Parts: sequence; C-alpha cells; structure tokens
Amino acid sequence: MEQPAPAKFELLVRHDDGEDFELRQVASVVGYLNSRPRRVDPESFEISELRSRVAVTPGFILKNTTTDRFLLLSAHERFLWDQMDGTTSLQGIATAYVLEYGEFDFDIIPNLLRKLQRAQLLTFEPRSRLRQALARNRGRFSVKAIERALTGLERVRIASRNVHPFFQRLYRYGGFVLFTPAAIVACAGLALVGAGAAVALWREMHDVIEGFGGRALLGLLTVKLLFFGSMALHQLVHGLACIHYRRRVREFGFTFLHGFVPTFYVDITDIFMASRRARVVAAVTGALVHLVLGAVGFIVAAHAPVGRFTQAFAAASGIIQWQALVIALYPFCFIEMDGYHVLVDVLGVPTLKHDALTYVKRLLTGAGRVRLGREEALWLGYVVLSTLSVAAFIAFNIWIIARAMS
Amino acid sequence: MSASAETLAFLRDVRVFEGFSDPDLAAVADRLRERELRKRQVLFREGDPGDEMFIVRRGTILISKAVTGKVEQVLVRVEPADFFGEMSLFDGSPRSATAQAETDVALLILERESLQAMTETAPRAAAAFFYEMVQVFMERLRRSTQQVAEATRWGLEATGLDVEAR
Repeated sequence: MEQPAPAKFELLVRHDDGEDFELRQVASVVGYLNSRPRRVDPESFEISELRSRVAVTPGFILKNTTTDRFLLLSAHERFLWDQMDGTTSLQGIATAYVLEYGEFDFDIIPNLLRKLQRAQLLTFEPRSRLRQALARNRGRFSVKAIERALTGLERVRIASRNVHPFFQRLYRYGGFVLFTPAAIVACAGLALVGAGAAVALWREMHDVIEGFGGRALLGLLTVKLLFFGSMALHQLVHGLACIHYRRRVREFGFTFLHGFVPTFYVDITDIFMASRRARVVAAVTGALVHLVLGAVGFIVAAHAPVGRFTQAFAAASGIIQWQALVIALYPFCFIEMDGYHVLVDVLGVPTLKHDALTYVKRLLTGAGRVRLGREEALWLGYVVLSTLSVAAFIAFNIWIIARAMS
Repeated sequence: MSASAETLAFLRDVRVFEGFSDPDLAAVADRLRERELRKRQVLFREGDPGDEMFIVRRGTILISKAVTGKVEQVLVRVEPADFFGEMSLFDGSPRSATAQAETDVALLILERESLQAMTETAPRAAAAFFYEMVQVFMERLRRSTQQVAEATRWGLEATGLDVEAR
C-alpha cells in the first residue's frame, strides 16, 4: 500500500512588532528527528546478555521490572537503547549508529521504538536538562524570569533550508580554492608567520594591552563582534567542505543555543554518507578559519604602532581566535566540538563522552568496579585529560589577565 | 452611488451571490464597502469584536489561529472571490481567528445591517444567499474535520507513537 506523504503543519510565526511574520511548514518528519526518546528509570528495567553457542553476536534480554514484560534485543538494538537517554535526538542516535556500524538500517530505529513503547520502556523527552531544572523551580520569581528570557531567546532562529544552491555557488566562485594544496601551504605559512609575530608580541604584552587604554569596553565589544563574525565564517567553511565532497548542505542559520549562547550553525549531516576522510576534512577546515584569522591578527598587531588601539585590538583578536582554534580542535575538554567528532570517528566510539562520564561517575559513587580493559582505559584517559585540560585552560586565562593587569 | 460593472461582474463569481438576479445583485453591490490592505496588515485578530463578512477581491488573506506564544496555525488562505468572517456576521461573536493580508489586498465588506436589509427587501435573493452559505459551512466543517485528522496524524508521526499496539 502506498504510504501517504508526511503530515505538515503550516505555521505562522509572528515577529515582535505583531504584524510581520514568517511562514514555516513543519513536517512531522522534523518533529520525529528532533524527538528525544528516554528509556525508563534504571530501577524500572534490567538487562542481561544472552550468550549462545550458535549465534555469533550476543543478544540481550531487556525486562520491564514494573510490568514483567521481556524483550529480546540484538547487539545493534542494545547500542540504540543505550543512546536513548532523553538528551540525544533521534537524528543524533542515527548518526551515532552510522559511526558505530558504518552503515544505516532505515527500519531498525522505528521498529525498536515501537517495540520499546509496547513494553512501556520508553518516554519522549522534549526539553533540555537546564529547562527541566528551571521548570522544577518555577515558583521562584528569578527562575521564572530566566525561563521566560530563555523561551524568548530560543524562539530567535533565523535559518534557511534552501541554502544548498547558495553554497554551491560560493564553492564554484572561489570556495573550491580552500580545498587545494596551495591553500594548505598558504595556511601553514600564515600560521608560522603568525606564530612568530605572536612570540614577538608576547615579550611586550604589557605595552600591547596598554593600547586599549581607557577604551576597554570598546575593545571588548569590537573583539567579540569580530569573533562572532568569524563563527559565521567557520560554519560557512564547514558548508563548503560538504559541497567539496558532493554532499548536501541542509540548513544554515543563527540561533541561541540552549537559549543563551548566540551561535551560527550549519547542518552538514549529509557528510556522514561520505568517507571518513571527508568527515575529518569537513570538521577540521571550519576550525582553520580561526588559525588564519588569529595569524592575521598577530601579524597586524606586530606591524601596528606600539601601544595603539589597533595593535591591542589585533593582538586580542589573535589570542581569542587561536584559543577558539584550540577549543574547536582539542578533543579533551568535555565539549563536543570539531576535534571531539574527529576523535570519536577515528576511534569508532561515538558515545565516548557519555560512556566515559558514566563510568567515572560509577567509580566515584562506588557503584562500579575498577576494571582496566581497553575501553575503561580510554574512558579514564578521556576524563583525566579533559579535567586537566580545562583546569590548565582556566589557569592560563587567569594568568593572562593577571599579567595584563599587573 | 451605484456599483461599477466591474464590481458586478466580480460578484457574479462569488459563490453566495450565484443565485441573485441582476437587480438584487446591484442592490447588494451598492451596500458593499471597499477596503484595501497593504501586505502583512492585520485586518482583525482572534477575539476582536466583529459583525461583518469580507469578500476578497484581489490578493490573499491568511486566516490563522493562535497555537502557542507567537506561533499560529495557518487554517486557510482566502483567495479572490472567496469570503471569510461570516460567523461574526450571523451571531456577532468575537473573531475566532486572525485575518492578515499575505499580499496587497482589496476587500468588499458586507455588514450585518446590509444583510438584514437584503432579507427584508429581497427575500428570494436572501434565501439563495443563505442556501449557498449553508453549503459553504458544510464544506468548511468537512475541511475542519480533515484538519483535525491531519493534526492527529502529524502528532503520531512526529512522536513515532505506536497506537496499534495494545
């Protein structure tokens, strides 16, 4: 039987002035991809491995301890079950599945969802943990005000789903240059010259920062503004990389992440249908925008008159851009940025952070035993390295500020 | 002031006036007011008082109903020769949805007083008007029922909820 087309709502989203609006068609597919299945509380289920002398891969028995219903799960379904923590969207789960198994079975997720719902082992979680915490404390005036502000900001979303032709044109009219050997050489050269300029500036950092003089606020705002613009550029380059590997750019836009982090974003999930090399290149090239801009900042600062605003502005921008580069590419900082995605792709462990934090939490609460297999070593290594890195990053910034103020 | 031949020709295409004789149509046309809206201008909002019906002569009107916050569901687009706002014409109830111009729009307005006058002076035309209006109401009721079913399908598809299971 022919399936009907996905149901659609046509929604009118009103702007603040009350008259202006935009129309959005929201297909049920979008709602489905963004839904976040949450397995029932750990007290409500038990899972045990079913070993067989015949079957090559193990199966699992999942029991709903409330209703006494049993389900048989395959290893692939067990993997999906572990992702259903209420914070990961179905799209994210599907991505994790592709990274884990290198293939995608279009029926496995809906079939598993149906099976779990019948066994009453699943609920759908539409909100973030932050929003849940706020909702629990809604009685307090300040919490309610924050919740309202976040709701207002979350509605700010300027995006287009029809950006693929734009990125194709951008690529055709010059964007392709970024993916040539000459661009790599230029990038490396610029980084070397920029690093040299940074070292030279470091010796006279105090004089450089003096350039802000009484215009610290102006300096802060302009540096932030430039950085904000560079984030848009970062996302544009991700999109161009996607085009380079002949995949589709699905969406580009601006929103407030979690309701308070202004951010540009680009949806290049189609890159997962390309090779691992393509995924790595797409992840890394976006971050290299910060390498180039940071190098340019340091070079400009090195050649600007000492103690002037221009020099201070360029140097501060250089520092922030290179910090952004490190944060984007360095995988051990508890943030799932480009470097983290490259790491999990290379290791083939898409849920590294989640698994590592769960393991360490169990160790710290005494709920788990110390076993040092390959996976456990990886988890421990990730948490230890990330903790040390974050501490070092904070210490470094405190030291920079203290040095600038002394 | 008598209505132009152009207006009369347009009204011939409006479904509720199909059964009107030429003199009756001319009489109604004389009672219609004209109004223009610029693109995006709100004609009325959900909950506003009202006792008039609108016929779209040119452009498109969006009829939407508040869903949550600043989000409204688009119920229907009203195209030229179609009409809206008739519920308030009959019972004077507050507007059940918001009407806003999607493009530059020209409207003809039929007020309750004009309808009453038509009922008294041209009962045959009024009967034809009400008969067609009932037909339109039934069609719109069917469409609303279909929309409810579609909204339910949306919800089921979006959540992946399995309701066939017991």
